Amino acid sequence: MSANKGKSSVKERAELALNDEFLVKAVKFTTERLRNGKKNASAEHGNWDEWRERGRQIRLHTIAHLDYYLNLFVDNARANGVHVHFADKGEDAVAIAMEIAQRKAAKTVVKSKSMVSEELHLNHALEQIGVEAIETDLGEYIIQLAGEMPSHIVIPAIHKNRYQIADLLSEVAGERLEADTTVLAGFVRKKLREKFLEADIGMTGCNFAIAETGSMVLFENEGNARMVTTVPKTQITLMGMERIIPSFEDLEVMATLLPRSATGQKLTMYMSAITGPKRTADADGPEEMHIIIVDNGRSLQLGDPEFQELLNCIRCGACLNACPVYRHIGGHAYGSTYSGPIGAVLTPALNKNVAEWDDIANASSLCGACYEACPVKIPLHDMLIYLRRRKVETGNGKAVETAGMKGFAALTGSSAAMKAALAIGKIGQRLVVRGGEIRTKLGPLKGWNSYRVTPSLPRRSFRDRWEKLDREIDAKRPPMAPDMKRRMERIVQEREQGGGGHGGH
Amino acid sequence: MADIKRQAVGESIGEGKTAAGAAQAGLAGADAEHAAWLAEMERASRAKQESFMNGISARLRHPRMTTNPQQPARGAPDFWRTFDWTPEERIERFEANWRSVGGHTARVRDLDEAGRFIAERAQELSARIIVRQDQDELAALGLETSVPEAEVSVWNSEADVSWKARAAEADIGVVLADQALAYTGTVVVRSAPGKGRSVSLLPTVLFILVPAERLGTRLGEALIPMDEGGREALPAGVHFITGPSRSSDIENDLTIGVHGPGVVYALIIG
Repeated sequence: MSANKGKSSVKERAELALNDEFLVKAVKFTTERLRNGKKNASAEHGNWDEWRERGRQIRLHTIAHLDYYLNLFVDNARANGVHVHFADKGEDAVAIAMEIAQRKAAKTVVKSKSMVSEELHLNHALEQIGVEAIETDLGEYIIQLAGEMPSHIVIPAIHKNRYQIADLLSEVAGERLEADTTVLAGFVRKKLREKFLEADIGMTGCNFAIAETGSMVLFENEGNARMVTTVPKTQITLMGMERIIPSFEDLEVMATLLPRSATGQKLTMYMSAITGPKRTADADGPEEMHIIIVDNGRSLQLGDPEFQELLNCIRCGACLNACPVYRHIGGHAYGSTYSGPIGAVLTPALNKNVAEWDDIANASSLCGACYEACPVKIPLHDMLIYLRRRKVETGNGKAVETAGMKGFAALTGSSAAMKAALAIGKIGQRLVVRGGEIRTKLGPLKGWNSYRVTPSLPRRSFRDRWEKLDREIDAKRPPMAPDMKRRMERIVQEREQGGGGHGGH
Repeated sequence: MADIKRQAVGESIGEGKTAAGAAQAGLAGADAEHAAWLAEMERASRAKQESFMNGISARLRHPRMTTNPQQPARGAPDFWRTFDWTPEERIERFEANWRSVGGHTARVRDLDEAGRFIAERAQELSARIIVRQDQDELAALGLETSVPEAEVSVWNSEADVSWKARAAEADIGVVLADQALAYTGTVVVRSAPGKGRSVSLLPTVLFILVPAERLGTRLGEALIPMDEGGREALPAGVHFITGPSRSSDIENDLTIGVHGPGVVYALIIG
């Protein structure tokens, strides 16, 4: 399914992306637009930080008491007539969904956008048992036709231009469609209308689940999620176990934060609160409704002080739009369902395989723009550092890098060794220095010098000049206050006794 | 709950059998089998629920929480709760918001004028099929007589009509707002036997009547009562509509009317 799963590292995939001129332009344009939209919308609304703090508090509290709130949600949803299922792993959720589809003898499933189902690769599984799974969100439909993964949480087909889209849709139409947005969207409307009406099952994700009433809430602009939850006789909702908020009162905060952060809208065109299947006398809505609650690695974050806040995420995509790295390389370079800063942390966290995804955590400049943008204040930039640390701690760092770091520690830990190394370096560098700069891309310098220039070692280094400098300053320095002197001496003493805890990283 | 279950089972998949007796027996058999399967799934799920929740509390390192943990912060910040616009401001802001996302608005004095407004548009657009919710206010619009060229259907007013298909082929849908909110420019519609979710979704053109006295300011004015009534008071669908269906998925180019109605009128009454 992946656009470039063949390429193994983020670096390789990013180079692929960087070469694709349209992708780079499209991603920049869209993310700029979304980012500005968010800035304007949050500024216009006012008191943005207070709303963010509210959002964070509500999410923190719910996750910290998830056993209570999730259980309450389940009991209420059951009382509403919903069939609730639990899935520890992705495969379990897939198996439950497939069993329902088989029981219903379903031929077609219409789906509205659900990141969880992307995470589970559910469409593929359904196809294998002969059930046609159709994505109905315009962007998702396009990338499904192209056989690709979404490259943005909110705008999945961000990387396709209308000519490419016209090609894909023309194939479905069996005639040449003009590369005009209205024509293309009009075709999809007509085509998917038929699918909505004939589908046996509607499948959705879940933006928020209300614990106190057992309702599920969906945000969308196109109306396809409403279609999927109104027309087919059976509804299946896939829900990450952390989607819970206590009440509709809390939904006001989420509804204030999510659309503004995602697209800069005051509210999405549709926000639907669905409470159970259709009532007996209703003439539309699903007759049978299932909610599958998915863990799939989420509970690994619970009780982990460094990563628990990851579960506060409301999937708005604001961190993607704010991220300078995402804006350059686009979503596919991350090589997983979730991209951008949230993906860089969430993917290894959900998979508990730091080693396999190690290079994603490095695809960040740790600038903190993601944290600034996050409507529930998840410290993603800190988590990226924790992730890098864990990777090294588990012995999954690069062997050369580890050896290098050890060597560096040995050198800098001993003044004599450092002095000797610098002396050798000063002689050795003569081979490569041109005009005070080292530009060679040979050996270990390739990575650095591809985009930068390494300065040469100076003839007289700071270390060489230190003794003289120290003497000069010492002459002008007022004597140290006695208590400060005592404190400094104590610190030195403690350090010599080996009690110092600093510099461990 | 029992009601819902019985009905879900009762209207199961029709598999096009010919001999009436055999079909009925077959269907009843399939229904029973399906009900048994659902019951089995439910048993498994209830057993799983315990271990699932216990797993969560173990991870969180606290004993299973069974009493309501007091929320330190619930809902919107305090300063927001007292925020309110005057009735006239609400109308102005609602209209401005609705139009800013590509919707249309008009102010009418009463239902008569609203009826005339809709009839004119219907004739302009040569509407053939109109579907409206089954409500007295909408009957008072008199569309049945004022648009004789069109067939006006009243949602769920007869058995043996496929109402979803009817709404799908309709050119115009007419609904009455249960509530509206000016700050976001949003209309709230609640489902009921006489109020289909499809009517505000499937037709190409949608008219929403908004009585001015139902127009509030903040989203919370509609959400908080949903908690207060509790789950039993909630209908299957509560839909917050903020304009026409739209998408920017193709090259960020805004398209109106992707799946839902593309032309949406909010008629403010009073």
